[in-house]
Amino acid sequence: METAAYNKGNKPLMTISRKLGLVAGLSLLAFSGGAFADTVRVTIAEYSKGTGPYFEEAAKAFEAANPDTKIQIEVVPWDSLQQKLTTDISAGANADLSIIGTRWLLDYVKEGIIAPLDENITPDFKARFIDTFLTPSVMDGKVYGLPIAASARAMYYNKDIFAKAGIDTPPATWADFKTSAEKIKALGTETYGFGLQGKEIETDVYFYYGLWANGGEIVKDGKSGLDSKAAIDTAKLYKSFIDGGLTQPGVTSYSREDVQNLFKQGKVATVITAPFLSGQIKTEAPNLNYGVAPIPAGPDGGKGTYGVTDSIVLFENSKNKEAAWKFLDFLFTTEQRTKFDKIEGFLPVNAEEAKDPYFADNADLKVFTSLLPDARFAPVIPGWEDIAQTTSGAIQKIYLGQGEIESTLKEAAAKINETLK
Amino acid sequence: MQRASVPYFLILPSFLLTAAIILWPLKEIVSLSLHDVNRFGMLKDFIGLEHYRSLFANPDFIAATWRTLFWTAAVVIGTLIVSVPIALILNEDFYGRGIARILIMLPWAISLTMTAIVWRWALNGESGMLNSALRDLGIIDTNIQWLAEASTAFPMQILIGILVSVPFTVTIFLGGLSSVPEDLYEAAATEGAGRWDQFRLITLPLLKPFINIAFVLNTIYVFNSFPIIWATTQGGPANSTDILVTYLYKTAFRMGRLGEAAAVSLIMFAILIVFTILYVRLAMREEKQ
Amino acid sequence: MSKKLKRSLLFWLFLSPIVVVILFPYAVMAISSLKSATEVLNPTWWPEELHWQNFPEMWRTSGIAPALVNSLYVSGMSTALTILVSIPAAYALSRYQFAGRNAFRQFLLISQMLSPIVLVIGLFRLVAGAGMIDSLNVLVIIYTAFNIAFCVWMLQSYFSTIPRDLEEAAWMEGASRTRTLFTVFLPLAVPAMVVTAIFTFINAWNEFVIALTMLRTEGSYTLPIRVFSLVAGRYTVDWHYVMAAAFVASVPVAILFAWLQRYLVRGLSIGAVK
Repeated sequence: METAAYNKGNKPLMTISRKLGLVAGLSLLAFSGGAFADTVRVTIAEYSKGTGPYFEEAAKAFEAANPDTKIQIEVVPWDSLQQKLTTDISAGANADLSIIGTRWLLDYVKEGIIAPLDENITPDFKARFIDTFLTPSVMDGKVYGLPIAASARAMYYNKDIFAKAGIDTPPATWADFKTSAEKIKALGTETYGFGLQGKEIETDVYFYYGLWANGGEIVKDGKSGLDSKAAIDTAKLYKSFIDGGLTQPGVTSYSREDVQNLFKQGKVATVITAPFLSGQIKTEAPNLNYGVAPIPAGPDGGKGTYGVTDSIVLFENSKNKEAAWKFLDFLFTTEQRTKFDKIEGFLPVNAEEAKDPYFADNADLKVFTSLLPDARFAPVIPGWEDIAQTTSGAIQKIYLGQGEIESTLKEAAAKINETLK
Repeated sequence: MQRASVPYFLILPSFLLTAAIILWPLKEIVSLSLHDVNRFGMLKDFIGLEHYRSLFANPDFIAATWRTLFWTAAVVIGTLIVSVPIALILNEDFYGRGIARILIMLPWAISLTMTAIVWRWALNGESGMLNSALRDLGIIDTNIQWLAEASTAFPMQILIGILVSVPFTVTIFLGGLSSVPEDLYEAAATEGAGRWDQFRLITLPLLKPFINIAFVLNTIYVFNSFPIIWATTQGGPANSTDILVTYLYKTAFRMGRLGEAAAVSLIMFAILIVFTILYVRLAMREEKQ
Repeated sequence: MSKKLKRSLLFWLFLSPIVVVILFPYAVMAISSLKSATEVLNPTWWPEELHWQNFPEMWRTSGIAPALVNSLYVSGMSTALTILVSIPAAYALSRYQFAGRNAFRQFLLISQMLSPIVLVIGLFRLVAGAGMIDSLNVLVIIYTAFNIAFCVWMLQSYFSTIPRDLEEAAWMEGASRTRTLFTVFLPLAVPAMVVTAIFTFINAWNEFVIALTMLRTEGSYTLPIRVFSLVAGRYTVDWHYVMAAAFVASVPVAILFAWLQRYLVRGLSIGAVK
């Protein structure tokens, strides 16, 4: 481009556009920051407002002990985690370490992007963990992640509502539960016995509680258990709760958090959820008189709770594997784990940590821990989210009365079997 | 360089910037949609139109497509019907006009995502403030479970969609109305034209290009709008409020089927292009006449 | 009753339904932001106790202050840059006939059509490939690029309503084309520039997906990321803080509009030059 050729009248305009080009180009150059070789980047999913500050503090403590390493914490909201990881990984710009749901782990491992940790794991290190929580992250005999968060599910019940309805103990079986819910309905106070989740994440899991009690399985011999007799019985059972007005109305508009909120307000008498609800009740509804009980059992004594872990994983393309491992090692010391689990209200994953009186003497947590032998973790199958989606959709149809129970479940099971192939 | 090149220099910076953000990603998306792709965007085999074929065989996708068209038409037309009179009023001189303008503008001041989250919260059946207000006012006596079924959720989502599109549309119209010279009205008034005639003969024709802008851009934005439906129902229950964008998001990031998601986005792209070309043709033909 | 008063009452009556619907979510926000942690879940319209301290508490704990600065920077820069880039393009479209004029217009329009949710994957690869992640200036450039289409189109439509004879008169008097542009033409186009400024500013102010993808560190987060992270997938949500934060985030936009709306006045243009 030659300035001289420009027509005089237009000159300033040209200058403007050229300047602009220049500004754009310069700022592109000047602000292209890159990561340093000794920086370990960690993607953290946010469990609560305490998550970010905890990890920042842990990073500082670690840096103080290891001055040649810098830890960069990158906090991401849970809802955006999958999107963030997908874009990051697809551009090769992912962090060194990241928290992911253990239920996604197989999909990640299959693509070969996650580094096994076995090289670094000494028997001593392994002995720190409670086995139940480490096993879900083990695939093909290799450890692909460490359980950064662990929880199980139990039934919270409102003691005052139960007492008002003349019930002394939490329901032991689903049949008991139904009788109790009917008594609560008879109070006529717009209070509902069964807080039933019917929306968004874990809608399927809420259905599995009944499925397990009835002796069913999510996947059995590589086939979906959604068309089994147990599943059909469970659907009928839940539907009878809905039709009998024993759940809050409009279950398909209540997510897990929504049902928990109804429980805090005393509008539902029960909710099945994770231990962190105890901490929430302490600050948001301190006067609520509640107890924690096992999830009701089935007619043949079948029971089961959902065990969940999230794993922190090391990516295969990390250039700082050694430093990253050091940080992992630091995060899983008893001191750090205790701090974290107290803030978040999760179950201890560390055997030493579990002996801390805060956990050992906590009445609520004792119930959760006692359920662990019956806990089912998400099965190691590909496409967990796909299956969850299909299952939730089918169940929602049934809850809404838009689908005949048996055919809806059969159809969903067929679709899941396709995914499982 | 000759005078003829001047306009090209004037448009160059805007062309380059726009091209930079659109052309490269577009190329990527096209290639994703034609390949077998893993969940992290790594290309495997070339499979031609396989993704498209499986989409058109999927009833959920077809249903979402029709729902998207309905959603877009309802929100865009609803917005225009509400916005034209509001803009005309806000262009007049009256007491409190400044405040009225700011009020109408308010929904725009909060990000769409937050607006949708507040609405979701207000629409909660047992503890939402909408039901509580309606009960206090004696309009209803049992709570309405707004988001439990598509039959109540979808109309509410359309209403929210209209509400958040009004500020943008009104602002465009206000800009357009400000170009109408006052003396035109004075001249018309002296010739005995009534208010309606003034509107029909002066305002409307001059406003036309701005209505076109609002119509086309709103169509594009609403068609691609994600937060309202995602934050309130995530397309549920049982996919009954899914539109193409929410379907796309789930396919891409929940299920990790990036190839199929890329195909969805190209189909959406094609629908919009066809629509816009048709509309621009029509609008231009009318302008010429 | 004076004519203007009567008219005002009539207009307000007409506007009242939409104003109520618009204010409803605001009222929900305002009231909830003043409730205590224990009351916020109950759908009461009159809080038992007003918790003004929610605002300072939210301010302290949510890290919203640096985010506010980042958002102001990104939005302000994008707005300035967009207008700077759009004016020449719009001027060319409205005052020159040239080959490719229509193609350029359609290209701009097409640039708006790809769903940002997918676009962002490709865009991120581009930015990451260039090693420019976590930069606010990259955001400025992307936002500018996204807003150009609307701004050029809006400005061009407006420019076309400005009579050519005004410029030509100035040229006759010996003013150069550029001088005319700045002293005669652009002052006439203030309302359109105001509309595009508002549009760009607000879009940049509220944008979430791109910001979340491109930014990584706490120090660079913009407001929507902060506000959204208060609600997105946490096991429990402090609704009183969320509402307070959303409220605070909307204030700068309201101020901006209060300031700029006065330029959206009919007849300002032609009368001023006569």
